[in-house]
Amino acid sequence: MVNTKDLEAHFEFECKACENGRCAKADVNSILSERKGLRDFYEAFKEHIKGCKRMTYGQYQFVIDREVLPEAVLWWHNHPEFKETHLSTAVGTDERPLNGHFVYMPFLNVQVEFANEPENYWVFLRTYLLADDPSFPSVAEKLPAALWIEREVKDLLGFKPVNHPDPRRLILPEDWPEGVYPLRKDMDYRHSPITEPKVEFKEKPEDTTLVPMGPAHMGIEEPAHFRLFVKGEEIVDVDYRGFYSHRGIEKTGEGRLTYNQVLFLAERICGICGYQHSVSYAMAVERLADVDIPDRARYIRTLLLELERIHNHLLWVGIAAHMVGYDTGFMHAWRIREPVMWLVERLTGNRKQYGMNIVGGVRRDILDYRKEEILKVVKQIREGTKTFLDVALNTNTFIKRAEGVGILPYKVAKAYSVLGPTARASGRKIDVRKDQAVKTATAYNEIDFKVPVYKEGDVLARVLVRMDELFESLWMVEQLIDQMPGGDIMVPIGKLPEYEEALGFTEAHRGEVVHYVMTGEKNKVYRWKVRAPTYNNLPAVPEMLKGYHVADAPLIIASIDPCYSCTERVQFVDVNTGKVKVLTEAEFNELSIKYKGVF
Amino acid sequence: METAVKLGFSLAGIIIMLFLPPYLDGIARRVKARLQYRRGPPLSQTWYDLRKLFGMPSVKPTKKALFTWAPYIALASAISAALLLPYGNVVPVDFGYNLVVFFYVVLMVSVFLMLAGLTVQNAFSHLGSAREMQVILTVEPLIAILYGVLAYNSGSLDLYTIMTGLHLTPSLVLTYILLAYALYVESGFVPFDIAEAEQEVIGGPLSEYSGRLLGVFYYAIYIKRFALLWFFISLLTLPWIGPIGTPEKAALVLALQFVLTVAFYPIIAALEATNARLRIDHVVKMNTRAFFAGLIILAMAFMGW
Repeated sequence: MVNTKDLEAHFEFECKACENGRCAKADVNSILSERKGLRDFYEAFKEHIKGCKRMTYGQYQFVIDREVLPEAVLWWHNHPEFKETHLSTAVGTDERPLNGHFVYMPFLNVQVEFANEPENYWVFLRTYLLADDPSFPSVAEKLPAALWIEREVKDLLGFKPVNHPDPRRLILPEDWPEGVYPLRKDMDYRHSPITEPKVEFKEKPEDTTLVPMGPAHMGIEEPAHFRLFVKGEEIVDVDYRGFYSHRGIEKTGEGRLTYNQVLFLAERICGICGYQHSVSYAMAVERLADVDIPDRARYIRTLLLELERIHNHLLWVGIAAHMVGYDTGFMHAWRIREPVMWLVERLTGNRKQYGMNIVGGVRRDILDYRKEEILKVVKQIREGTKTFLDVALNTNTFIKRAEGVGILPYKVAKAYSVLGPTARASGRKIDVRKDQAVKTATAYNEIDFKVPVYKEGDVLARVLVRMDELFESLWMVEQLIDQMPGGDIMVPIGKLPEYEEALGFTEAHRGEVVHYVMTGEKNKVYRWKVRAPTYNNLPAVPEMLKGYHVADAPLIIASIDPCYSCTERVQFVDVNTGKVKVLTEAEFNELSIKYKGVF
Repeated sequence: METAVKLGFSLAGIIIMLFLPPYLDGIARRVKARLQYRRGPPLSQTWYDLRKLFGMPSVKPTKKALFTWAPYIALASAISAALLLPYGNVVPVDFGYNLVVFFYVVLMVSVFLMLAGLTVQNAFSHLGSAREMQVILTVEPLIAILYGVLAYNSGSLDLYTIMTGLHLTPSLVLTYILLAYALYVESGFVPFDIAEAEQEVIGGPLSEYSGRLLGVFYYAIYIKRFALLWFFISLLTLPWIGPIGTPEKAALVLALQFVLTVAFYPIIAALEATNARLRIDHVVKMNTRAFFAGLIILAMAFMGW
């Protein structure tokens, strides 16, 4: 059993209490020598570091002055030794009820060495912003990965990124009034004001035609608006407007749900990688509660995570085939995928949204006689996928469409902090399953698998990376079944510590998923920040599109496996009469503003 | 007596040409479904679809008359093309120099599809029309050359005379091969359905069409595909079965044409199912190469090979 005590989670590393709140007076030596790079950073920014602590195993936090924030982020991101370090995302928190300040906190995944779990770590750079002037210097001009992150805190919390190259609205709808910030604590989560819509689109470059892809388009399964500026068929520039289906899930989670209820909300963030979100969130809370998860629970979680990856990659390759009109590939990929769904339904009760997790373990055991069934399905999938790939990769027209299209160079991938298979197809050797300490929640450290990396960076490379991963996942499932330990499947969680922070993360099918959790009073969540991998991958899509054909656009967009997390309508079903009523837009708006009895 | 037989064959031709095309599409759908391990719709499904579309009003996004007329003109062109072809030994509409007229009316279907796309303010329609235009501009010269070879080979511009007067030379065999490719492209099957690519340009020129007008356009396209296939089948069969003197033999020939047309469709469907859509620049490149190959064949034909 992996013990969080083994992971030194209790190790005293807090200098919050020391005089003047400065690290200089604490015993920094032992702290900073824990991981490579920490001391260098401390030396470089000594003057501006106001405090530091270790949040939990492998997660370090520095409190720094906001003036040096861009330099500090770039210091880590462009670290000459830690090549694959990237800006994961940033959290903005309204801590005015606690200490009268706003908090803006970018954090980075520091990869000292690939697959060296005890060496790699996360670095959080916490800056306090004044309540009456929440501005901070923007890093987006030098680091495109921060483009969306800074626009997001501007939208949701009213922070002001100074010198941001593209300060347009990102998340909030066009008809949302200025000066109303939903994630501030003094805003009720039911409040939904509406004004006249104000649209801000990028200016059309001269001599180009606008091709609006979206918000509803055949080639994009969910609402997203790509505005392609084309010359003939060639794409010159791209503007993106998304977040049409933003649901305000973070706010709902912070509202009045307990930490276990949030878990089920987390699973509903995505229809495909829901379990990844669920595990990430559970991991963060378990780190905070400081409990040891039974091994059997870790194995069951890993099993389901990998089964989810298998069906997702098959789903994706089907969509990719469909995007270029190769419907036979589409149908066969989904036919091969279906047994996984049936299997998962047998194991968990649901095809999707498994509802298997609970903070501290899993809710259902995997019965021993089901193991054979799992192995049977794995064998079937492996054979089916091999045949499928044989056919698909020998379909000349399919290869012609995928090869050399939508190239994302390594440098751009790194600058945008692109994640997952998209990054690995561009030569980035990253995988959170191996890089970071996921062993408190999952069992990746006890099984063997390879991380495929391709250098080409085109759509074909993305296909191949995912297919290689699929076979690795099948192999992992077999190992997990073989090694499945006995024992309990969950451990009860007591009270959570108040106002503590931790990060949970897994490698989803699209890249690293991170869930940052800051606890509040009475087992509530004070701040819950979710970052799905598409959030990092999507800003790089315009870069991939430029210079290619309009015809390639759907395939290129699909090649990052975008997931916009959408829920679009509400329908009421009268269980007595079976009548179904779909709400109109006006009714829906009225409901979302006035109806109070649901939560 | 003779006129009655002629009338009978013409009538048979008209019935085949009007009713068979949607069934052919039904066959293609079934074949594709089987290749994808699906059950597939009934053979009449395309007819059901068309009937439904014919019964629905169209939303018209523009006041331009061409938007309304284009589908009907396209349908008329497609029907005229089909009427110029021999059914058995009878050509329903025969004015001489048929080959030129056939070339022209088949082209008209594409041209009106393209023009229809340009009548509306829709980027996808325009893109689709532009693609249709590029396909036409590159594939029609090739077809013209191949028709030239056929005309030179048989010494006539009349379709029926060509079909009965061809003699076997190496250039003719090559012409058949290239013609199969050219007609496949012109029919707009996958991987050449670039103009109407759903995932890319949402149906291209058809994206603003709905209801009856859309149905008419679909019907026109099905008939055009049928006409091109029937033309190719006739070229394959008629020259080699000797003179058709009796109505009995003509009926047999008609049956052969019919059976072969139905038999060829699954092959087309299989090709469609096992291919991804090409990009317009791929097609332009391929067509250009084929055009130069066509020139060589023409030269061969002039040399008497």
